[in-house]
Amino acid sequence: MTPRKILTIVLVITALGIGYYSMNTASVLSDESYTYHGDTTWKTDVDTAMETAVAEDKPVLVYFWTTWCTYCEDYNKNAYVDPDVNDRLDDFVLLAVNLDDSSPEAKDLQQRYNANYPPQHVAITPDGELLVEINGYAETNSFIAYLDEAQSKWESR
Amino acid sequence: MIGPALIASATLTGLVASVLLFRGYLRRDNGYVTVITPLIGVTAGLLVVALGYLTYQFVVTDYTNAYVWNNTANYIPLLYRITGVYAGNEGSVLLWAALAAVVAFWAAVRRGIASPDAKLVQGLTVGIVTYFAAMLFFDSPFTAITEEFPEMGEGAAPLDGTGLNPLLIDPYMAIHPPVMFIAYALLTMPFAIAVAHFISTIRGNGGLFSDWIGSITRWLRISWFFLTAAIVLGSLWSYRVLGWGGIWAWDPVETAVLIPWIFLTATLHAVMNYRSRSTYGTLAPAMTATTFALVIYATAIVRSGVFRSVHSFADGGIGFALLVLLAVTTILGVCLPFGYWLLREPAEPAEESQPWLTRANLLHLAVLGIGLLGFVSVWGLSFPVLNSYITGMEVEVTGDYYNLWSYPIVLAMLLLLGFYMDYDVEGRRRALLSLGVFTTATVLAAVVAPTDSWLLATSDTNDALFYQLIGSASVLSLLPPAAYVCLTVINRTLEYVHGSPSRNYQFKQVGVAMVHIGFVILVISVAFSYLFTAQSSVIIADSEQEAALDDSGVHDVPDSSYAVEVTDYREYQRPDDPDIRNVAFSVDEVTARGDSIHETVQPVYGTVTEVNQGEGATIVQLDDSQIWLGVVGDGQADVDVSEGDQVVGVGYVMWEYLPELSQTDAVVVTDPADIGTVTNPPASLDQTRVQGSAVGLTVYDDGERLASGEAGQERYLQQGGMEVRNVFVDRGLTHDTYVIAAVDEGTASLTIRQIPLMNLMRGSTGVLLAGMLVIILFDPAYGLVRTWSRRTEQPITTETPSDD
Repeated sequence: MTPRKILTIVLVITALGIGYYSMNTASVLSDESYTYHGDTTWKTDVDTAMETAVAEDKPVLVYFWTTWCTYCEDYNKNAYVDPDVNDRLDDFVLLAVNLDDSSPEAKDLQQRYNANYPPQHVAITPDGELLVEINGYAETNSFIAYLDEAQSKWESR
Repeated sequence: MIGPALIASATLTGLVASVLLFRGYLRRDNGYVTVITPLIGVTAGLLVVALGYLTYQFVVTDYTNAYVWNNTANYIPLLYRITGVYAGNEGSVLLWAALAAVVAFWAAVRRGIASPDAKLVQGLTVGIVTYFAAMLFFDSPFTAITEEFPEMGEGAAPLDGTGLNPLLIDPYMAIHPPVMFIAYALLTMPFAIAVAHFISTIRGNGGLFSDWIGSITRWLRISWFFLTAAIVLGSLWSYRVLGWGGIWAWDPVETAVLIPWIFLTATLHAVMNYRSRSTYGTLAPAMTATTFALVIYATAIVRSGVFRSVHSFADGGIGFALLVLLAVTTILGVCLPFGYWLLREPAEPAEESQPWLTRANLLHLAVLGIGLLGFVSVWGLSFPVLNSYITGMEVEVTGDYYNLWSYPIVLAMLLLLGFYMDYDVEGRRRALLSLGVFTTATVLAAVVAPTDSWLLATSDTNDALFYQLIGSASVLSLLPPAAYVCLTVINRTLEYVHGSPSRNYQFKQVGVAMVHIGFVILVISVAFSYLFTAQSSVIIADSEQEAALDDSGVHDVPDSSYAVEVTDYREYQRPDDPDIRNVAFSVDEVTARGDSIHETVQPVYGTVTEVNQGEGATIVQLDDSQIWLGVVGDGQADVDVSEGDQVVGVGYVMWEYLPELSQTDAVVVTDPADIGTVTNPPASLDQTRVQGSAVGLTVYDDGERLASGEAGQERYLQQGGMEVRNVFVDRGLTHDTYVIAAVDEGTASLTIRQIPLMNLMRGSTGVLLAGMLVIILFDPAYGLVRTWSRRTEQPITTETPSDD
């Protein structure tokens, strides 16, 4: 074995190690029924979310996102780990729509609330009536203000 | 018809040239050799003319071509009409094909095609060009609009196009794709040479890599130069235009283009170290061949839509053709070398007890390390897809994955680079000593973090151990290895330059130093710039009123030293002065098109010369001509038109509709909602494409006036209401001030970012590119500028003098 061969083998093993380790430790973004953002868990099925909202008598917060949107990462980093935000989110049924998802229900929501770029949020009643719209990235304070506004509209309905 | 004919002829001549080349190679004869080079020239010429013709169609907005109609519009200024040429798949393949054909022709003229090896190389290159041309034959950028939309009627031509993706309307975007495709086209030659090398070796003809090493080095270096420039231009574009993501966001497409770049960099180091029988006899040609396969992989990713990204303007399917090309280049460029290495490579003479510390081994480690860096990117891009296919679970690959894995590799590579440079001139003992010193300094610096923002990542306890460990390292750890590289590179360069009488050699050493130092400074400035970007926001609720005041208030931006004042507010639309002639026919044009637009929907304008109010319809004569507008349906009686009005209407053109009226050739049958005046046309003819709002701002830093400018957003109505932010960037010496504004009904939400070290970043990429240019020109062995002594003394070397 020459030094070059030994070096090559060591580096190949390193590469395999990186591959194995990173694949096993990558954070799960979504499985069959939920997607995960920060510390929050969102439903992905439109019908289930709407049914839950009716059953629990809660408004629905719809989050339009994609894997490649950097402002969505900002939401994950700032908003969805914030205890104040999470407190308020408990009063909503959470529904995340991946804008790259091509299912007809997702496309329908996208069109109805004119969500054509990520990130966007809409708070709606279970019958689909719009409460509040948050276009683009909102700093955590104003994000909370939007959520409060949606909640008070929901209550005074 | 001109376009398709040009493409078809180019495919044909390309095909004939490649068949003749392969025939000549296999039969070892020189039949037809005199016609092949002209044939390649004709192919290149035809493709260039086709590209020129397409550009011409864009400039004059010839909407009879569906591709032009799809990618431009009347309101778009000339520069961005040209951008439209490569905004879609077909146009960019044509650009690539034309450039590759020119490269092939240049190589055929300079090197000739007399030898069998040259025939094989040219056969492969021209084969690739022909493949592109054939792709264009089946998926043409010259498809007629009437072919794409038969319902428009035969003679129909739209008066306005659908527009260009707003993200592409930027000066950087006008040059980024051509520069990229130049790099891709140039890589065709090294690929062909390397593949030919393996074919020739396997056939027992001894290979040709060592004979062509000069050409290969030049082609690779020039492609590296253009590829680097393309990536830099793309980064500047995303910094300015997207308003999200910044210069580098590890978007799948950005990662995809970085992969061939990293690999090309490793290949250059391997080729430098190539010695025909011993070192890298197989690896250097193999890597050269693989680079082009990776380029096709990157293109397939950009165009496939498998990875959706900010670049999703480019999706819509690559079709089968690019996948076939990917398969072919993978077989030729990856499997062939790998198979040869596995099955046929002659065993190296086993020499026990080789020393570990040699220049060759250090370079080998560099090649492997850069390869490992490339692997991090390839894997990050590929494993989420593999994973979701296998388990149905989507995993997240964020920027942190790329940054945190690449970081230790980059640190190790910098230390290795410093050591190599030092070892080269100072000898083993001293080099090992300084490596020890700088490695210790690096490790120590990694734990010194004045505040949290010096840490590489904000890690939380849920993260995997490795990410927590690297993430909590301080960015200061970059400084010792960077200093190490700079010191040793400069030391080595001074030593070499001082001791050499050859001017070209001295230039080359300076070039090598510039490339490496430029790279190190780039790494530092990117890392620091990202970690120390500070951002704060402010909302100005009544910016419209404030702008109207002479002495409006200055708003402090919370958590920053900035304050802003709104000096201006405007809402606008484009085109700002729409002309009805852009979207509607005059009566003369309708008459000229005649029967061909019978029963199609067309807009018509003119001056009313007679009005006949009937029971079921109101009939209006235009311009005293044979063309009438017929308004039918509910409300037709209330249509308020009188003689002398200038009106416009949209409706079905019916020839010979009222045969009993001899002064009537055609009636455009419309309904009350589709008729209006020229100054207030019906909604379907509204030409507004862009609705913009902008605020003029003066930004203060610590009370000092820093800059003033405009930020805002534009909404593209006919592109699904897509919004683009126009950011305001003030370039300062130490940092840029970057303002993003969202303007909505008088309220402006401003985000102000302070991005440090942007000038250092711009400067370091300049040094990097200039350094490579110096190497390309003055390398004593393979430079484009020959040394004086070389030309007079020794014209006979292993390579022919004119071997590009």
